[in-house]
Amino acid sequence: MAETKRAPNQIVKLALVLFLVSAIVSGVLGVVNMFTKDRIAELEAQARAEAYNAVLPWDGEYVNVEYDKEAFETVDAIAQAGDEGWVVELTFSGAQSSITAAFGVAADYTITGASVISHAETSGLGAKIVEEGFLSSFVGQSEGMAVTKDGGTVDSITAATISSRAMANAANTAIAAVKALG
Amino acid sequence: MNLKKQFTEGLITNNPVLVQRIGLCSTMAITTMFFNGIGMGLSVLIILTCCNVVISAMRKAIPNDIRLAMFVVVIAGFVTIVDLLLQAFVPALSASLGVFIPLIVVNCIIIGRAEAFCQKEPVVPSFFDGIFQGIGYTLVLLCMCIIRELLGSGTFGAGVFEIVDGSFRAVLDGSAAGIRIFPEEFGATIMIMPFGGFLTLACLLAAMQYALRKSAEKKEAAARAAKVEVVKEAAE
Repeated sequence: MAETKRAPNQIVKLALVLFLVSAIVSGVLGVVNMFTKDRIAELEAQARAEAYNAVLPWDGEYVNVEYDKEAFETVDAIAQAGDEGWVVELTFSGAQSSITAAFGVAADYTITGASVISHAETSGLGAKIVEEGFLSSFVGQSEGMAVTKDGGTVDSITAATISSRAMANAANTAIAAVKALG
Repeated sequence: MNLKKQFTEGLITNNPVLVQRIGLCSTMAITTMFFNGIGMGLSVLIILTCCNVVISAMRKAIPNDIRLAMFVVVIAGFVTIVDLLLQAFVPALSASLGVFIPLIVVNCIIIGRAEAFCQKEPVVPSFFDGIFQGIGYTLVLLCMCIIRELLGSGTFGAGVFEIVDGSFRAVLDGSAAGIRIFPEEFGATIMIMPFGGFLTLACLLAAMQYALRKSAEKKEAAARAAKVEVVKEAAE
């Protein structure tokens, strides 16, 4: 292992070269980020607005309300849409990584709609949670939802039980969180 | 520099997936629909070409001891740029490929080409190496997508092509439903699951080995025949 013995100044030189290249790359990334971040944020806000409107149509403003953050860790926000009900936004773990979804909860504590804002589920399998056919099976359901595979009434997606189950659990949490508002 | 040789190598005789057998993970993971295949293929093609050019240009300045670290920094930089651009301008693709775009950083094709080709060759051949190896990768992805999508969900070209009211339509935002070949209920879901990826890739690899061996045997036979001719002529 004689090869690994190097003069200290050579190690310093290697570190400097690597530092320099990393610094240049970081600089370039900073510039690209500057140009894209507004557009990415805009797209995200747009996706969120569309999701809110899809789960609980409401002409007025969605007003964020306070809730028990410790009891409902997965809940990101609860927005009240007048007397119509609430939109609950949650981030919870799916099969691959976290899923962010919004559920509309009516004044009688039933689900008015579900929408996925972002996810990274397996393409072609778990990624089907965004499809209308799956999301519409939540509409009209009340607390205690389970996927068909577990004897419930929410259609589970073939070969994506974990993702489907995560969505059903999130819907239950959404209703529970709204009920806890009092 | 031999463009024609590089072209055949990238696409066939030294295809990154089917012959070098690198980049297999993403090949099996994302090939569930046509849109993913074309998006992933093009992303890798662009990143590979950029990395090849930059690494080749820096090849004399890169100290040998830390070359792998340098390659990874350059690759990670380009991958992040492409990731940000996709998020901003092709959000559908970004959502569909998810974590597999950032994972291109550890795609062996890119670091493999840097190590095997770009650190020795000038910029121009490295540029074409990136293009041809990228096309080779994309073609394999598309083959996998077409086979798995057809057998798994009974469609062709999901996300890119569709037939609306009898007229053919191609879109680039991934919203197309695909051309239905047979009803979805008859599809073998197993084909779009990871298992189907292994199965399809194995079949393609086997077919490629068969074809390469056939062509090698043919060449050998031709060479032998030519030798016999020469010997005959000499005898006369």
